[in-house]
Formats: sequence, structure tokens, C-alpha cells
Amino acid sequence: MALLFGGAALLPSCLNDKGKSVVKLKHIDLDAGQQALVADVADVIIPKTDTPGSKELGLHLFVLKMVDDCFNKEGQETFVAGMKEFNEAAKKKHGHDFVDCSPQEKLVFVSDIDKRAHDRKPDEEKDDAKLFTFYSMLKGQTVFAYTTSKYFMTKQIVYELVPGRYNAYFPVKEKAAV
Amino acid sequence: MANLNIDSVKERTFDAIVIGSGMSGGWAAKELTDKGLKTLVLERGRDVKHIKDYPTTNMYPWEFEHHNVVTNDIREANPIISRCYAFNEDAMHFFVKDKEHPYVQEKPFDWIRGYQVGGKSLMWARQTQRWSDFDFEGPARDGYAVDWPIRYKDIAPWYSYVEKFAGISGNRDGIPELPDGEFLPAYPLNSVENYFSKHVKSHYKNRHVISARCAHLSKPNQIHFDQGRVQCQNRTLCQRGCPFGGYFSSNSSTIPWALKSGKCTLRPFSVAESIIYDDKKGKATGVRVIDTNTKEAIEYYADIIFVNASALNTNLVLLNSTSDRFPNGLGNDSGVLGKYVAFHNYSANISAEYDGFKDLTTDGRNPAGGGYIPRFRNVYKQETDFLRGYAAGFSAYRGHERSSDGIGEELKKNLVNKDLSPWRVGSHLMGETIPKETNYVALDKQQKDEWGMPLLKVSVAYDDNDEKMKKDYLEQMTEMFTSAGFTNIQPHSDTRNPGLDIHEMGGVRMGNDPKTSMLDKWHRLHACNNVYVTDGASMTSTSCQNPSLTYMAFTARAVDHAVSEMKKGNV
Repeated sequence: MALLFGGAALLPSCLNDKGKSVVKLKHIDLDAGQQALVADVADVIIPKTDTPGSKELGLHLFVLKMVDDCFNKEGQETFVAGMKEFNEAAKKKHGHDFVDCSPQEKLVFVSDIDKRAHDRKPDEEKDDAKLFTFYSMLKGQTVFAYTTSKYFMTKQIVYELVPGRYNAYFPVKEKAAV
Repeated sequence: MANLNIDSVKERTFDAIVIGSGMSGGWAAKELTDKGLKTLVLERGRDVKHIKDYPTTNMYPWEFEHHNVVTNDIREANPIISRCYAFNEDAMHFFVKDKEHPYVQEKPFDWIRGYQVGGKSLMWARQTQRWSDFDFEGPARDGYAVDWPIRYKDIAPWYSYVEKFAGISGNRDGIPELPDGEFLPAYPLNSVENYFSKHVKSHYKNRHVISARCAHLSKPNQIHFDQGRVQCQNRTLCQRGCPFGGYFSSNSSTIPWALKSGKCTLRPFSVAESIIYDDKKGKATGVRVIDTNTKEAIEYYADIIFVNASALNTNLVLLNSTSDRFPNGLGNDSGVLGKYVAFHNYSANISAEYDGFKDLTTDGRNPAGGGYIPRFRNVYKQETDFLRGYAAGFSAYRGHERSSDGIGEELKKNLVNKDLSPWRVGSHLMGETIPKETNYVALDKQQKDEWGMPLLKVSVAYDDNDEKMKKDYLEQMTEMFTSAGFTNIQPHSDTRNPGLDIHEMGGVRMGNDPKTSMLDKWHRLHACNNVYVTDGASMTSTSCQNPSLTYMAFTARAVDHAVSEMKKGNV
């Protein structure tokens, strides 16, 4: 069920001792807990509402693939280090690892980080810089995964491979395709 | 055995050989075979058949493994080619890999190449403008480079000839410095582009903003249907290869046309090692080829040779074609071979917004990309502290106000927001650079590539003239944008290397005087009159138009000359 939509090619490749599935990555080493954190945060960012959410669409699998294949080494190191800080901050606030938080705790924690990330100045140098860099990376990739997914590009907007037209003067009232 | 050898030589003998199958090589192949010559086309890369070999052409964004993003491993292994704007997951298979095709950068130069049948004509930006005498007369006026041996009247009928076949969309704008051609209907300017066009026309003398002229079939004619091409479907995914043949490429047009004649032999995987010169006959007799798969050297023979290997590779082939008569490269009595290389300066752009026409947007996609501002500096007289001038792109567009603010339901709403952004406008610089002796290519004395070819050493850089011109472009555009009421004007200058413009030219320049140039007014080597060069290498100066259309016209004209000389028994 979790792999119904895009990203289905990336099947979990093995199970670790806790029985959690792990995606095999080529360049970075993320254990099952870390991968679960990515999946859980992405699912708070794009949750299931009356439309599908991240887990249903498999967005986290694509996010992991992008971090693994398209980030440079420095970006990957920041991602992993920031994720640890992110988890530590969750522990401090809620008393346990992020993945073990209740859905409500997860929502509260990510909402708070998202607001603070939004209000930060671009080059703000603070001790928690990596946490926010991690969060921005993860959110950016989740949004990219979502907005370039087959689901989004066929059900939410209409991507046209073959428009067959260019109207240079198009009244705003009419619905322009993408 | 003797007979076998004779048969083998016969099999390897043609009327004409074309080195290269890209923009100009494809035209040489078409013209030579149209005129009945048995023609061999050599291509160093693999074959790319129209439609069949466009593996990504019908893919949706989500069908690419990384949704069209190039992986870090590929970027790190290919720092040069991955700087090209078109090098993405959908078209990267049409570009060379850095490590497979090394060259020596004496100064930083991004050499962007596509080694396959069709060359870069598959992925080009498809902008097509004629030159005028203001361009051809540039060197004669200010003394930089030598006088062109031709003028607009020599080339005008050939522009018409190639435009009709290739299919060029545009308006008849009546601008002397950018002559009109044989146009298919233009792609229209949108409301803000049109507004800016009218504003510029009424506020500035001799400045114009016109619909960009481009090699797209806006309304195909029978000659295009005869090529198997149909109307452009506004996909703007051209770099993948077009299943409709909506834009001109060698693959969709000239090469299949030549092959259909039955007169053309296309040989991929064939590096032209050198042109064979016969001292006794006093002319070139053929081309020595290295088969890239077997590494075997094979000689092919012909009466006429067209060198269309792409600007810098044409230099390489000629430099490597040494003989007793030409110890410094074929036809290089003057010593100018490889020198006076120039390019286009693309290192500036400017953006802004316009708070108007809120009731209008656009729908579908414009393959022309928007508007074009023909050169307006130093056209009728020298008026600035820099030489020559620049053209510019200009386009306006509106997107949706889709932010990624918030999470959950709020974020989902923001990502599908249908509210339109203000109109955004943008322009980019396309500046002429001055050909100088110090901008050159040469053979590296030690290093060779996998096929035994000396590596090309590239020594090309910007100069003060380029800096002054860039400054002027940003000043003039800022002023024009300001007076048009655009806001949030953001001039931007970057430090890209020469070469990334993908308009490198020269090294085998035309000229009247064999002491200072390589080619005569027919694109023949002064010193070896059965060898023609009609690609970017032949450019005496670069002006600021996108050059491909001029190469096409040069090629058709030169073939016509070569075949008439052949018929007269002169070659």
C-alpha cells in the first residue's frame, strides 16, 4: 500500500534487526531509524489529508535517493549531522526520539521548526544551523518529490507534454494550463 | 591481390567527403548529394537516427530517475560539460563526457561538444538571424581582424535558400541591420513583450524588440512535409530530439534527406585524423580516418573535401594535416591557422518586474523564447568606448504564486495556488568579441587522445573590450527597463568561462589576402583549392547573431561553387 504511487521502483531492500525496512543507499549510510525519521518528517510536511500524503506516495524514498545521488559530499554530511541535531532537539523537547513521538508531538515539533526556519535570516550563524539546514534540505526535497510526482502532475496540476499551442494574449479569467 | 587492392581503393573513393555531420556538415551532405555527387560523411561519434534514437523524447518529468536532475557523481566527473544549461538527465546522453575527450586549457575555456550524428544541431537553441553588411563590414571599419571577402549580397540568396528548407519563423521587421528572410509565421510577442517593444521604438532611435526568429515549423510547407517533418507542437523539450521534427536539426532534416538520395554513405565512429595532401598533384586527395572502435587507420579518397568538424575541431584536423608542402598544417602558409579565435560574451543578464497587464497571461509554450533585441550599438557609427556591439534576448512571463511556505494542508494549498505572479521580464547579453592573434588554439606537443590525435590546446580569454561592452549592456538595459516602468531591476554579471556560449568561432578565417587569412571568398583554402571549410572555423569576425544560420548559408553556397568548379574541370 505504501508503494502504490511514484517511487515504487525503490523497494526496501532488507530488514534490520529491529525489523524496520531499510533502503540501500550508495553514498551515505542511514540506518533504519534515520530513514524512518526522514519518512516521518516528510509525512508531516505532506500528510495524508483528503489527498494522498508522503508515505502513500512514497516521497521519502525519492527524497532519500536524491540525497544519496544528487547531493555532494558536504551536503550529505550536513544532512546527516543536522538530522542528529534535529533528533536531539526532539528528544529534549518530548523526551524520546523523533520517530517515537506521538503524531501530535511530531506535528508540534515540525511546525515549530518550520516557523523558525521560515523566519531565520539566510546566513544566520547559530549553533543549531545544521538542524535548520537539514530541515530546509528535507523540506525542499519533499516538495520537489511531491510537485514532480506523477500524482501531482496529473491530479493536482496538468502537466502537458505536448501543448500544441502558444497563446500570447490569454485572459486571466480562463484557466491556463501549466 | 592487386585486383583486391584496386577494388578496396575503389570502394573507398568518393566524389566528395564531408568531415562532420552537425549543423554545417549536414548541409554539405544534402547539397553535394542533391547535385549528384557520391558523398562520404564522416562522423566521429555514434549514429543518432531521427526519432528512433531520442530515448527520452516522450518521457514525463517523473519518469526520469532523478526527475531530470544530474547526479553528483556525473557532475563531479564532468565539471566542464555539466556547466551547460542543457546538460540535464533528459539530454545528457547527447553531450561528451569530459574524461573521454580531453583538451588542454591554457586559459579556462568550457568546450561544449556533442559527438554524434547531428552534432550539436540536436540540442541547439534554434535562434536564427541573418547578418547584414553592418556585420560584414565591422573588421574593415575598425581594423580588428581582416576584411571579410564577402558582403551581404553574396550570401543573401543563400540565406533564402536554406531558410526555405530549414523552416525559419519570424516577422518581416524591416530593420536594415537585421535583414528579413523567407519566414514562416512568427511566434507572437506577449502583452508585456509587445509593450516593451512599442516603448523602445518610441523612445529610442534605431532600437527594436522583435519576435525572436527561430528554426521552428510554425506553419510547415510542402518542403518540410517532404522531409517527414510536421508543425512544432510547442513542447520546448527540443534538446531531447523532436519526434515531430518541429525544429531543424541535421538528424530530422539534412542527413536523412542526403541518405534518401542513395548517394550518401554515412560513416559514424570515424575520427578524421588528417586530410591527405598529394605534393605532386598539388591538392588534397582524401581523409585519413581512425575507426574509434577498432582503432584502425583507413584512408578515403575524393576530389572535394568539406571540413565541418565544428569550429575548434576543424582547426585541429587542419593543424594535424601536415605534409612536406604544409609542415604547419594544411593550407597554413600564412601562419594564421588556429589564431584569431573569438566567441560571444554571454556573461550578463538582467531581470525585473512589471506591474501591469494583470488581466493577461500566456497559455501553452513559446518555442521562440520571446523577443530579440538586434544590435543597436556602433551600428551606423562608432559611438562608444568599445568596439562592435551586442544583441540581447528579451522575454516576459507570469507564473503562479506557488510558495512552499508552511506544512500540511497549508503547504499543499500553497503548492497549487492559482494566483498569478506579477509579470517578470528578463534579458541576456550576446556580445561580439574581437578576434585577436592571442586568442588561439594549437596542438599540444606531448599529449594525445585515445585515438592518437594530439590534444587541442585552447588559449582564449575575455579582454577590456568585453568588460566595457558588458557594462554598457547593463547600463542601457537598466535605463530602458526603468523608462518602461519596470521595477525591482536586477542587473547581474557572472564569471563564466569563454566557450560556455557555445559560439566559438574562427581559426581558419576567410580573407582576401592569402598572407593574412586561410580561406578565399568561396570558403576554399587559399593554398589548397579542393578543401572547403564552412563551419564556425571560417568566421573572420563573430558579430552577435546566433551563427548557425550563417553556417548553413555558407555551406550551401560553397557546395554550389565546388560542384561548378568540378564540372569545369578545375578540381
